[in-house]
Amino acid sequence: MFPEGGSLMAGPAVQPGKPVSAWSEWVGTAVRLGLAVVWGWAGLAKVADPAEAAQAVRAYEILPESLVKPIGYGLPFLELALALLLVVGLGVRLVAGVSALLLLVFIAGITSAWARGISIDCGCFGGGGHVDESQTTYLQEILRDTGFLLLAGWLLWRPRTRLSADGWLAS
Amino acid sequence: MSEKNREGKRTARERMLEQRAADEASSRRRKKLIVGGAVLAVIAAAVIAGVVVQNERSKPETPTAAPAGTIGDKNLVIPVGAGNAPSVLTVYEDPRCPACGSFEREFSATVDQLEDAGKVYTNYHLVSFIDRAVPGKGSKNGANALACAQEAGHFRDYHDVLYRNQPDETNDAFGNKAVLINLAKQVDGLDTPEFQACVNDDKFGGWVSSVQQDFDKSSYKSTPTVLLNGQPIYPKNGTEEITPANLAKWVDAANQGKQLGTAGSHGQTPAPTSAASEANNPSPTAG
Repeated sequence: MFPEGGSLMAGPAVQPGKPVSAWSEWVGTAVRLGLAVVWGWAGLAKVADPAEAAQAVRAYEILPESLVKPIGYGLPFLELALALLLVVGLGVRLVAGVSALLLLVFIAGITSAWARGISIDCGCFGGGGHVDESQTTYLQEILRDTGFLLLAGWLLWRPRTRLSADGWLAS
Repeated sequence: MSEKNREGKRTARERMLEQRAADEASSRRRKKLIVGGAVLAVIAAAVIAGVVVQNERSKPETPTAAPAGTIGDKNLVIPVGAGNAPSVLTVYEDPRCPACGSFEREFSATVDQLEDAGKVYTNYHLVSFIDRAVPGKGSKNGANALACAQEAGHFRDYHDVLYRNQPDETNDAFGNKAVLINLAKQVDGLDTPEFQACVNDDKFGGWVSSVQQDFDKSSYKSTPTVLLNGQPIYPKNGTEEITPANLAKWVDAANQGKQLGTAGSHGQTPAPTSAASEANNPSPTAG
């Protein structure tokens, strides 16, 4: 006779995936909240003056005028939505993916402005628009966004974090 | 027999476990779909609501109220001098911009003379974008106070006083309405209850935003931008550096052989009459 619940059958019943150490889940929580602060700060800084947000978009000279206002008005709220979802910890891998995509778009935009010799502030945390050539900080802006991209990358790789809605839904 | 029975039992058991695993997998998939859908719904709702709200909050590009005597198709421009002067000097300035302050301190006397002699009709665009880069409200409040001075018929004098008293760019003194009202005391007849209310209530705030949005859409990127008959002359006109003497020389050269405009003083008295002024153009404090 085979023993009840033979080891052969035990496989599918346990949680799938590799066991992730508690240590890395706590790191994930810190990364998630860190990225939430970044998006929250970036979004709030762009909400106060819609004309300023539109001009920050216009200054890149990439989008047609008809898209300048929708993007300028909508982007801060996309950032705020990502911040909210990260705080709650819902759909972390998807949110991290959207975050990474958005950051890649930002980095591409800044690089493009730099390459075309336009003198603008990235408008990443409010402000934006044309600045004096001596006041451009493209490299710092790209490095900063790359740092944020690493945070999003961590969450893409390890979306399971402590104190998250994802965690409560899975248990 | 017993061998077959065991086979059968095992298969049933296998099937049951497989079923349970499949159920769990599909439940996980369903959960994933629901969570994914919820995430996308939150994002879409936020963005749509954001666009609607910001659209509602944004000030119109065409102002609902403009100071008296402003010109242009949206009444965004403050004219100074005789409308029939042969040359037009166009000036884009931000009240907080240090380069505008040095330009004014160096050139305002010359520009005033050119206006009074009927040689130039100056068109001021009150830009207010320093507030975006440097914390404060000095650009917007300053521009509104200038619009209030225009409404009262004292634009030029107040404009000159404001730039002579311009604080450092990082010092937001013009963000303080009391400072703006106090400076109005230096202009005869400007410090009235109407002017104070206009400054305190940000009466032309919407107009100031419209002027700024017009500048945003223009090809000009910095202040001061100074044009003589549409040609940029700051900091250089071609290869020649701008100086008060050169400015007067360029104006005279442009005016050569042309009838000068009505001479006046303080840039407010003569009503713009010629074709140089634009269509819907009530004369500023004429008569």
